[in-house]
Amino acid sequence: MSSRGRWAVVYLLLAPAVVLPLWVSLYDRTDPTLFGFPFFFWFQFALIILAVALTVPAYLIAQGAERADRVRHGLPAEPPVTDPPAKEEQP
Amino acid sequence: MSGVDGVAFGVSVFLFLVVTILGFAATRWRRAKSLDNLDEWGLGGRGFGTFVAWFLIGGDLYTAYTFVAVPATLYAGSVVGFFAIPYGIIAYPLVFLFFPRLWSVSHRHGYVTPADFVQGRYDSRGLALAIALTGILATMPYIALQLVGMQVVLEVMGITAPGDSWLVKDLPLFIAFGFLAAYTYKAGMRAPALIAFVKDALIYIVIIVAVIYIPAQVGGWSHVFEAANDSFTSFNTDNADAIAAGQASPRGMIPPEAAHWAYASLALGSALALFMYPHSVTGVLSTRSRSVIRRNAALLPAYSVLLGLLSLLGFVAIAAGVKVENPQQSVPQLFEEQFSPWFAGVAFAAIVIGALVPAAIMSIAAANLWTRNVYKAYLRRDATPAQEAQQSKLVSLLVKVGALVFVLALSKDFAINLQLLGGVWMLQTLPAIVLGLYTRWFHRWALLAGWAVGMAYGTWLAYGVSSPVKEHFGGPLVEFPFTDTLVYIAVVAFLANLVVTVVLTVVLRALKVDPGVDQTRPQDFHADAGDPGVEEAREHGAPVHA
Repeated sequence: MSSRGRWAVVYLLLAPAVVLPLWVSLYDRTDPTLFGFPFFFWFQFALIILAVALTVPAYLIAQGAERADRVRHGLPAEPPVTDPPAKEEQP
Repeated sequence: MSGVDGVAFGVSVFLFLVVTILGFAATRWRRAKSLDNLDEWGLGGRGFGTFVAWFLIGGDLYTAYTFVAVPATLYAGSVVGFFAIPYGIIAYPLVFLFFPRLWSVSHRHGYVTPADFVQGRYDSRGLALAIALTGILATMPYIALQLVGMQVVLEVMGITAPGDSWLVKDLPLFIAFGFLAAYTYKAGMRAPALIAFVKDALIYIVIIVAVIYIPAQVGGWSHVFEAANDSFTSFNTDNADAIAAGQASPRGMIPPEAAHWAYASLALGSALALFMYPHSVTGVLSTRSRSVIRRNAALLPAYSVLLGLLSLLGFVAIAAGVKVENPQQSVPQLFEEQFSPWFAGVAFAAIVIGALVPAAIMSIAAANLWTRNVYKAYLRRDATPAQEAQQSKLVSLLVKVGALVFVLALSKDFAINLQLLGGVWMLQTLPAIVLGLYTRWFHRWALLAGWAVGMAYGTWLAYGVSSPVKEHFGGPLVEFPFTDTLVYIAVVAFLANLVVTVVLTVVLRALKVDPGVDQTRPQDFHADAGDPGVEEAREHGAPVHA
């Protein structure tokens, strides 16, 4: 797939996370409740989880699209591995 | 001091001391040859990985004030109070898309602030200055509000030194802020990064315990929602006349049809403005690579879940019968009533420490803006990296003193008004920064004019909003021009800004007005750690203003 096509898929994956929260009439109700939470509240918590679930495949596809973009702009597909100063990840 | 619980106080002080020691020890963490440049002092060496960045950015964005103010709006029955959650959902896909580009171009050219990028891209010191001043102006009251968050907790704990003068009364606040200023001065960005581990761990523990334990004590979540709903309904019935006369706002849990656009535009406008704030840019630029940012876009929503649960504690406080004059005290008061003293101490410490991380990063970010885009751009164009770092360190102190004066000597309301305006103002810098990441079509003078119009129009709109308790700056919503739909002021001002920017760009391009020299190349927006140019930029500090 071309880099343009890959980016289109990334945008498509991320779009629901931006559009659904703004569509308030979709979830401005009390029923059905879940564990005592009105729909309004649990639906938005579910949206957070949905957004994460969509961001993961978007990340994987974007990595591929990035490589294609880098080549197109005259950079190596992967950045050359230099010896970064060894830094601890943990505090 | 009277009415202070010894155990809660002792636990809080102990945790505060642990954090203070960590703050000073941070100078040795991920040790660099020298901290005498902004890449090290101001961006922590630009080397934080996914794990550190998650704590750091999360600790930076979800501030103590957020943790106090958001549940307070639900406690007070604001129908749009829960907008903080969709706001968090929308923000991260945007981060995912445009922040890697800002990261790349900043690393290639050694940009430390968003205004550095604007300067390099548009070759306009004036536009960069506008962006920098907007950032400083919006950040100062935000730091002040972190103090407000701390104050609220100290009040609930009953810790206020005897005496009437504000100087004596707020002594604990002074001490806490003094330590913060000292270790931020010494360790720079490393201090909040290290403290963020403790802050976030404490916050997670407190919230998880709170949302499991307290609702069970008061009869379960369904009872909590019922109790909140009943309380709002009876308030609306009792005050029906006042509401009809506009002297009180109706309360509720779920936005009615008329408030849908208000809810959605608050979420969208705040999400767009969030990542224009200097402290978010500083947090993101301190990461090691582009992938770290994208991975965090998938990991940071965990904090949104946390904030959502925490905000519902506003309803829990109603169900538990917490009665406070100042809604901001509702959740701290709930903790004091429901938790055993030692855990209440942990919870209070979590909020106080929660104020320190963002306050440190905000003061660093504001100091970097001053140093790069005012001091180096106008006052001392030949400043060395060491002089830049020294200037930033001093300014970070000044900014904190300014915030203290703000809260203690001026009125709290003033800080809250400015914070409200902060979101409106920051959104006006979006065209220059974000659109600039994708296209050079916009003309620099058009962007400057659009910014000016957005700033003036937004401020004027906010000034004109009155509420039952305030004559001006009464809230974030106005009627959208030519309609009676309430929307977030920032979005209205932003649209005006965009229209001016587009129209003037067409005119200025047609007149062939000098667009300035673009320092960046297309490939700069894709560069990653290890690419030629990225490392050199770090070594020498590329001359942005050369």
